[in-house]
Amino acid sequence: MATDVLISDGDLIAKLVPKDKDEVQENLDNQENPIVKPLVLTISAYQDGVLRLKIDEDQSLSPSKKRFEVPDVIVPEFLNKKLWLQKLKTEKSEDGLGILSVIYLSDGYEGVIRHDPFEVFVRESGKNGKKMLSLNSNGLFDFEQLREQKGENEDWEERFRSHTDTRPYGPQSISFDVSFYDADFVYGIPEHATSLALKPTRGPGVEDSEPYRHFNLDVFEYIADSPFGLYGSIPFMISHGKSHGSSGFFWLNAAEMQIDVLGTGWNDEFSSVLMLPSDQKRVDTLWMSEAGVVDAFFFVGPGPKDVVRQYTSVTGTPAMPQLFAIAYHQCRWNYRDEEDVYNVDAKFDEHDIPYDVLWLDIEHTDGKKYFTWDRLLFPNPEEMQKKLAAKGRHMVTIVDPHIKRDESYYIHKEASQKGYYVKDATGKDYDGWCWPGSSSYLDMVNPEIRSWWAEKFSYENYVGSTPSLHIWNDMNEPSVFNGPEVSMPRDALHHDDVEHRELHNAYGYYFHMATSDGLVKRGDGKDRPFVLSRAFFPGSQRYGAIWTGDNSAEWDHLRVSVPMVLTLGLTGISFSGADVGGFFGNPDTELLVRWYQVGAYYPFFRGHAHHDTKRREPWLFGERNTELMREAIRVRYMLLPYFYTLFREANMSGIPVARPLWMEFPDDEQTFSNDEAFMVGNSLLVQGIYTEKAKHVSVYLPGDQSWYDLRTGTAYKGGVTHKLEASEDSVPAFQRAGTILPRKDRFRRSSTQMENDPYTLVIALNSSQAAEGWLYVDDGKSFEFQQGAYIHRHFMYSDGKLTSSNMATAGSGSKKFASECIVERIILLGFYPGPKNALIEPANEKVDIELGPLLLRGGRGSSVITIRKPNVRIADDWTIKIL
Amino acid sequence: MKKIRLQNVLLFLCIIFIRGISRSASLTPEDSLIGVAPADETYYKGWSSSGTINCKDGFKKFNKSQLNDDFCDCLDGSDEPGTSACPNGKFYCKNAGHVPLFIYSSRVNDGICDCCDGSDEYDGTIKCPNTCWEAGKVARGKLKKKIAMYEEGVTIRKGDVERAKLSIAKEEAELSKLKDEEKILDGLVRQLKEHKEQIEKAEEKERLQKVQEEKEAEAKVEESKAEVNDEDIEQMKSDINVKIDILSPPPQDALEDHYESVSKPEVSDHTGIEGFPSHGVEQMKEDLLQNAKQKEAESMVDGKADLETRNQEEDVLEDTESLSREELGRLVASRWTGEKTEQQTEEIDASKDDTHPNPDEIPNDTHDEEYNGYDSEDDEERYDDDESEDQVDDFAEEEHNDFSDKPESDDESDLSDMTSTGNPSWLEKIQQTVRSMLQAVNLFQTPVNTSEAAHVRKEYDESSAKLSKIQSRISSLEQKLKHDLGQEKEFYSFYGQCFETKQNKYVYKICPFKQATQVEGHSTTRLGSWEKFEDSYKVMQFSNGDKCWNGPDRSLKVKLRCGLTNEISDIDEPSRCEYLVLLSTPALCLEDKLKELRDKLETMNKEQPQGHDEL
Repeated sequence: MATDVLISDGDLIAKLVPKDKDEVQENLDNQENPIVKPLVLTISAYQDGVLRLKIDEDQSLSPSKKRFEVPDVIVPEFLNKKLWLQKLKTEKSEDGLGILSVIYLSDGYEGVIRHDPFEVFVRESGKNGKKMLSLNSNGLFDFEQLREQKGENEDWEERFRSHTDTRPYGPQSISFDVSFYDADFVYGIPEHATSLALKPTRGPGVEDSEPYRHFNLDVFEYIADSPFGLYGSIPFMISHGKSHGSSGFFWLNAAEMQIDVLGTGWNDEFSSVLMLPSDQKRVDTLWMSEAGVVDAFFFVGPGPKDVVRQYTSVTGTPAMPQLFAIAYHQCRWNYRDEEDVYNVDAKFDEHDIPYDVLWLDIEHTDGKKYFTWDRLLFPNPEEMQKKLAAKGRHMVTIVDPHIKRDESYYIHKEASQKGYYVKDATGKDYDGWCWPGSSSYLDMVNPEIRSWWAEKFSYENYVGSTPSLHIWNDMNEPSVFNGPEVSMPRDALHHDDVEHRELHNAYGYYFHMATSDGLVKRGDGKDRPFVLSRAFFPGSQRYGAIWTGDNSAEWDHLRVSVPMVLTLGLTGISFSGADVGGFFGNPDTELLVRWYQVGAYYPFFRGHAHHDTKRREPWLFGERNTELMREAIRVRYMLLPYFYTLFREANMSGIPVARPLWMEFPDDEQTFSNDEAFMVGNSLLVQGIYTEKAKHVSVYLPGDQSWYDLRTGTAYKGGVTHKLEASEDSVPAFQRAGTILPRKDRFRRSSTQMENDPYTLVIALNSSQAAEGWLYVDDGKSFEFQQGAYIHRHFMYSDGKLTSSNMATAGSGSKKFASECIVERIILLGFYPGPKNALIEPANEKVDIELGPLLLRGGRGSSVITIRKPNVRIADDWTIKIL
Repeated sequence: MKKIRLQNVLLFLCIIFIRGISRSASLTPEDSLIGVAPADETYYKGWSSSGTINCKDGFKKFNKSQLNDDFCDCLDGSDEPGTSACPNGKFYCKNAGHVPLFIYSSRVNDGICDCCDGSDEYDGTIKCPNTCWEAGKVARGKLKKKIAMYEEGVTIRKGDVERAKLSIAKEEAELSKLKDEEKILDGLVRQLKEHKEQIEKAEEKERLQKVQEEKEAEAKVEESKAEVNDEDIEQMKSDINVKIDILSPPPQDALEDHYESVSKPEVSDHTGIEGFPSHGVEQMKEDLLQNAKQKEAESMVDGKADLETRNQEEDVLEDTESLSREELGRLVASRWTGEKTEQQTEEIDASKDDTHPNPDEIPNDTHDEEYNGYDSEDDEERYDDDESEDQVDDFAEEEHNDFSDKPESDDESDLSDMTSTGNPSWLEKIQQTVRSMLQAVNLFQTPVNTSEAAHVRKEYDESSAKLSKIQSRISSLEQKLKHDLGQEKEFYSFYGQCFETKQNKYVYKICPFKQATQVEGHSTTRLGSWEKFEDSYKVMQFSNGDKCWNGPDRSLKVKLRCGLTNEISDIDEPSRCEYLVLLSTPALCLEDKLKELRDKLETMNKEQPQGHDEL
């Protein structure tokens, strides 16, 4: 129960003590282990409907150790949004028995603490306001306090296979239950290869399921449907239901966590002690962590986008990538040498397939010593990068966190001299095994070490690097081949004596952060960095892209990649994708082609393959398949203006590029558990094809507006499941009526050469002959957009008029971005033919309207109404009137 | 009207402008034929009366203002030969001084110089210097060198092809001749064999006769043991059953050896002689049993020896069915009459000791030799090459063979003793010898004339050895001729050759029609066995090599290209365990290609800009 509830320094604070007097007495009687000490609870309110709850041991009672709080995740701007609580409202609970303390949270929402039994919840304002989400409604809160070892009899050591965890601080776990009200489903908590809507792990009808685990691991050949934890962890869950909408819960904690989703009726066998209101539909969840503190955030929503906005206001919005980074990446373990690189590069040109980035995996190094080159294979890395850069292409090299223990390796030498490595339980540099053999791991939680690491990316330090070189962080869970569960022992020691168990899930995050900072530093802070990481944690979105790790060339893995990417997007990590083709194994050609067709819509689009697999560059499977893969890649390039606009939207609001259908259609129940299809932005719906030789594909098109086939322009009714013929040319994709899609229809070697190419606008009219869309453009690489150097347009079509207006807030910055780009073509879908001309204002010029193709490639689609050569500049305000 | 004419003039000027001067940064694409190949110029002059041209795909048309107006009207790009507006378009760069080139329209005005004359970058974003003359000079130099090489290569190839054709014709002739000879020789060998066997039978009969006589002498004593005998027979029956079980499939040890060598002509198919059905196991069992019944217990103690004698006797009995036991006994005995009684006992003893009745005549060795055919040392040396060819597909034995680059040139001398055409036919000689010999030997002469018998045996051995040789030669020739040696048999010389190269620690060995290996020290990894030519004889494919750990079976592709010698120029492993080899060889120096190169050079020379001297 909570006692001493009061407002202090703008927060609500209270003490938590065991409820039961007997229990207290028991504690008092237990001489060896004196009273369970009271815990300190703090509740704060932040702007935009974020409630923060902290529970920790009372530092004034000098616990044996300060529990770890994860630093550098919450963005400073968030802390500035704190509401200074002035007053506490006290009321009686519904049943009249308990006392509730109520604080203001945001317009329409309140934070409530029930004193006894202790419960924290968020409700709609007012005494009878509906509960939205709560903590400890089921009374499962437990907090193992740090204590002294009970003599020598108590053995805290734990053994796992050949590994021993000394556990010097003993048990310190925390658990509690969280309930989401009016929720049909819960989502989030990546990374698991599972469905988008999280299946219950306990309760009636659930057999032998393990909880969803959060413990970053390098999982070899993971399976496509399992709650097992993969490479990253984000303890953020979002609920959604038809009647209320969405709410979210985030626990900032980096220790191993297990989360159960409890199926309805999970607690039927217990009589409900707490007498929860049973009329409200709800999803209960149980959260458990091995260590750390309670630092939890409640997000009130009420819409899915609101929840994501609120979450990213805490952990930061996704970084704005350079334009090239959202184009196509070609990777393989390994492109062996410079000749290989040149050949692959040349083949893309030969087949007129655009690509932007060529990747080099671990074999490019001298003995897996990162920042070095195998000079036999890559004698002239700078020249190589420059040659590719001359075609506007970039390269990526891999830099992993395991440092080869080789005295002649400067990184190792410095790191060991400076004491920058993670220590083992005895205090010596931890020595594990990874690609280079015996390796040590930099202690990236320490800002000093991060800053030292970042320096290693300067052009002087990273010999052979050029501005077109970017970085890939792999194995940063960390992966330790000879460690427990292929990772680092939990009793390894970090900076400030933090045990590895306390920060394990954040290790890769700090590494990613340090690398990303390094790329910013090297260019004098001018260019946006690109760093791909496998491990992730809340906040990783600020540092680069994430991919779903070492998947397999199987249809199941193509299938599960979609919910995985969507889940990452929901939890802030908008820039993500799965390895196209599947990392392990050889995809058959059809699977590879389908994967390109789906992968072209992943926010991060990269083909990658294991070194035991056959080569699978797009031109190796016969002319027809080359054509199909080229077309898939070209679709991505065609849509780059749209994607880039979406990345900017994500950068501003946290709303992901790839979205579950229910994010756009929160009232359409049919979408809630659909994870075969997804939205790219608000305008495009993509339905994957996940089976071999599919003849048909069923697509549910939500909403009451029509949808236009992206390839043919054919209109389909909304709110209906359509059974379509599966075409080998593409997976089904549709533009939503009422939207305007900016495209570029010319293809170049890479996105770089598309800079000055003209645009096409595709206007899909809704039933009231209206539509709107956006276009964001900047220089594609620098940070100047932050000073206002960008073009952001809003296109609005209504009453037979298309208007382009400026979205950029006036005087938003000191820098300007200029573009001479024009719109060469405007396509109208769902428009009644007839008019022959359009008038451009203010230029007062007449242009032709004619029938033209929807796409300039891939055969003759149906003819669509086209405004020919309006040639209006995207930077300008203008109106085009259909005459 | 005036207007149109003016436009035509302008158009004409434009063409001259483009053709005469390589490039101009200020060129606007409108109304110009930029990006149009000379072959297409007529198409772009074909304005209809309404001032339009149909797109090449025929689905739309465009008017003059739409030609190169940087807006894609024809999906095939025909209205935009000079801009990047149509994704399916091609842009023609004239590249005077070098070779003309079609580039993807996506390269037009993309800020990268693709045409050496710079004509693809005309929007002023960048300035592309005209490098055609310099590049062309280099290219022409290279081309000239290449042509020179091709010229030489074509000659070499011609010679090779001619030689190959001759060799093949020779080999084919040889093959058909050998086949004829084989037929005849086979007949002779059979005759000889029959003859030899008859002699042997006769000898055996003589021997048995002696034995019989001796035994008869002891008959009375033995009779008392008859009952015990029956039991032994039963015992033996089961013994034999066991033995046969163990020995099946077809017994090949001493039991069979003896059985065959004495009683049956050729059961083993190692000698390649057909037409002698091998004796079924059941039959053998029966024979044994029958014989056993007629035999004394004493001689049954040693199964193997008995078996032998009994079979012999059985055969004898079969041959002389019409005779009574006594008559037969006398008949056979008569052969030995008056000769070496002591030896008879010895023979029986010997047979009991499981040795040959007459080691001089059919020694074990002889039999082994028959088994191994022509594997004697002599032959091995001589047939070295043939051997390896025989085993093209038999890699199990590969290691025994020293299979090196030794070209297979002295094939013909191999069988010179038999095939050399100049000499009077050896075959005829043999035929004569055999004929006369067969006439001379009197089968029924008793005792057998030992010198004649030896003569027959010797002749038989020699002839069958020769037959084996011929047969092996036939099979090796057939193997060779069966292979796809190229359209003009230009890969004839590859047969039996290996190409080697060393890269880092590995030695790669490519043996066409056979296999490819990678050798590191003492360990050899098979990268693949010969599969076929691919891509119209430009690629040799080797597949199903050793399995890669956690990967596919290794495989190797050899890309062939024209060169003056057979030489590996590069080895690569683009995907793990998939190897790629570049091999230059005159076999790929094709005349068509040479002609193509010459034409190309001619065009290049023609395309030299007029005003070059001024540059």
